[in-house]
Amino acid sequence: MRNQRIVALRRRLIPYFLLGPGILWLILFFVVPMYYMGRLSLDTGVFPSFQFNWQFSNYSDVLSAYDTQFIRAFEYSAAATVIGLLIAYPLAYAIAFRGGRWKNAMLLAVIAPFFTTYLIRTLAWETILSDNGFVVHTMQSLGLISGDGRVLATSGAVIAGLTYNFLPFMILPIYASLERLDRSLIEAAKDLYSSSRQAFLRVTLPLSMPGLVAGTLLTFIPATGDYINAQFLGGAQQSMIGNVIQSLYLKQTDYPAAAALSFTLMAAMLAIVFIYIRFAGSEALMGEEVEST
Amino acid sequence: MTSKRRFRGLIVAGGTLAAAIVLAACGGSGGIENSSSGPANVQTAKYTPPPSGDLTISNWPLYIDKNTVSNFDKATGVNTTYIEDVNDNQEFFAKMQPLLAKGQSGGRSMFVVTDWMAKKMYDFGYLQKIDKAGIPNVTANLRDNLKHPSFDPNRDFSVPWQSGMTGLIVNSKLAPNVHSINDLFDPQYKGKVEMLTELRDTVPLVMKADGIDPNTATQQDWLDTIDKLKQAVASGQIRRFTGNDYTRDMANGDVSAIIGWSGDAVQLQADNPDIQFRMPTQGCILWSDNMVLPVGAPNTTAAEAFMNYVYDPHNQAPIASYNSYVTPVDGVREIFQKTNPDLVNDPLIFPTADYTKNCSTQPNLSGQEEQTVTRAFEGVLNS
Repeated sequence: MRNQRIVALRRRLIPYFLLGPGILWLILFFVVPMYYMGRLSLDTGVFPSFQFNWQFSNYSDVLSAYDTQFIRAFEYSAAATVIGLLIAYPLAYAIAFRGGRWKNAMLLAVIAPFFTTYLIRTLAWETILSDNGFVVHTMQSLGLISGDGRVLATSGAVIAGLTYNFLPFMILPIYASLERLDRSLIEAAKDLYSSSRQAFLRVTLPLSMPGLVAGTLLTFIPATGDYINAQFLGGAQQSMIGNVIQSLYLKQTDYPAAAALSFTLMAAMLAIVFIYIRFAGSEALMGEEVEST
Repeated sequence: MTSKRRFRGLIVAGGTLAAAIVLAACGGSGGIENSSSGPANVQTAKYTPPPSGDLTISNWPLYIDKNTVSNFDKATGVNTTYIEDVNDNQEFFAKMQPLLAKGQSGGRSMFVVTDWMAKKMYDFGYLQKIDKAGIPNVTANLRDNLKHPSFDPNRDFSVPWQSGMTGLIVNSKLAPNVHSINDLFDPQYKGKVEMLTELRDTVPLVMKADGIDPNTATQQDWLDTIDKLKQAVASGQIRRFTGNDYTRDMANGDVSAIIGWSGDAVQLQADNPDIQFRMPTQGCILWSDNMVLPVGAPNTTAAEAFMNYVYDPHNQAPIASYNSYVTPVDGVREIFQKTNPDLVNDPLIFPTADYTKNCSTQPNLSGQEEQTVTRAFEGVLNS
């Protein structure tokens, strides 16, 4: 009897123990900083003496002052997400279905850029896209840009950099969902007289939606807050909201405005992601686990 | 069902715990909500020889030759940790300020910051005065024109590390006719011009080109000049604003003429002889980076011994020849006459009074004016 109770108690406590480290981590490094940020965003005053003042106008002030960079950040990251998807899906498909014995080597090639740091990779693009470089000369002779045109310090360069830097985050989840797809389902579709195209649209694509949704989120969310690509590949007119937040924190030491802007960005991203998941369906994100219950 | 309820319970428990921690942590005011103490009660870092123990120095990257630190350690028995973690005055200040406000220096005995930042830190009460008894070489060998700067007339809290000039760096093939800052606004160089992200370099230079003395400029002068930059950004004239990374754009040939620092020009020229520093016709901006002793600094005696050590011309010579900036130490030129005779007549390393006759020092900005002007300028950098 007693023994049974101990077992029952233990069974009840185990999930708490398992969650403990994660929850503690989140509290220390997410909840507590968020609390201070939230408080800071309602402060007034000049550095370094800020007073807590319920200054909600901080939010409307930063939004009206930096709406251009705000919208630009979402435009750039949306563009990078769409381009990334167009590149990643065929690539992931090819690796999953046609990779054969090269599968592992191709996956390694996808991950290989991570062996170099993010910063160095972005700086390398600065050299690749240089005004006197091979890429620009080729584009000029093909008439893609004007004879004295350039790529660096334009929107295109920033979007290209974002696309490149977050591409693996798009490829890997799509690949994972395509890889575990049950091939016999495609055969079954074909047995039922569907064309290859129909089989793709009605079997493969829907079943790869979890990877697709995960990939787009993993690209869109970090790309929106990114400031490295805009700083190195963009010019003075390509600043994204991340650059503004960095400037407010480190250059202008206007912590309340920086905190308010960070919160606004977080809220906007949450809203967009929420709508997106609603639209794409949460089953798509959760995948089979939801289906199986 | 039950497992779902249990998890909901977990979330509640976690939330409660979070709230408890937050409440416990926020007893009083937040960490950065301190008022400045002002420079009223500045302490002097007393020199108590002999220097020994551990010394930690924060300096800018690529600002010292490879041997000076180990030679100093050998000569004095001090164990020096030399970190290159100052990349930007404002960013370094933002990083250190919460510590300095508590009277701590993050284990550092000495920083190197630019004139205006040294003054700003001093005004906040974040620096100690330097004990002159520990730095006889500085008293003896500091160049005359650096002895009484307006921000620290008696050199109480700052000792120059290196000095330099902000002016034009041009690729003489691509932009042969750029001699004035005004030429940077010439449409023929559209998109091939860059300026510095340093407010106190870029804006005063443009002001000088318009005939305004940056040291007596009003806030409106600053805002008008910043507006001029804003228009140049909007028209595509200015490609972007950079820190040291203009060296890459210059080396890649992406830009033709920029506002930059004299020492970089010397190093760029070594790779491409077409790249040269040009003294703007209306003059340059003069600045120094200074060694300072923060509050709460450990082992200031060793830090003062280090200042004294690098002010011996024989010890300064390798630093000066590595840097190509203006050395603040008298006597180096005489040593170079024997060892590096080709450097002796380089005006970027040993500028004559005539060469810098139209130059200005970096203007001081503080309080509300500093915030207003900084905000306007940063708005242009992030258009």
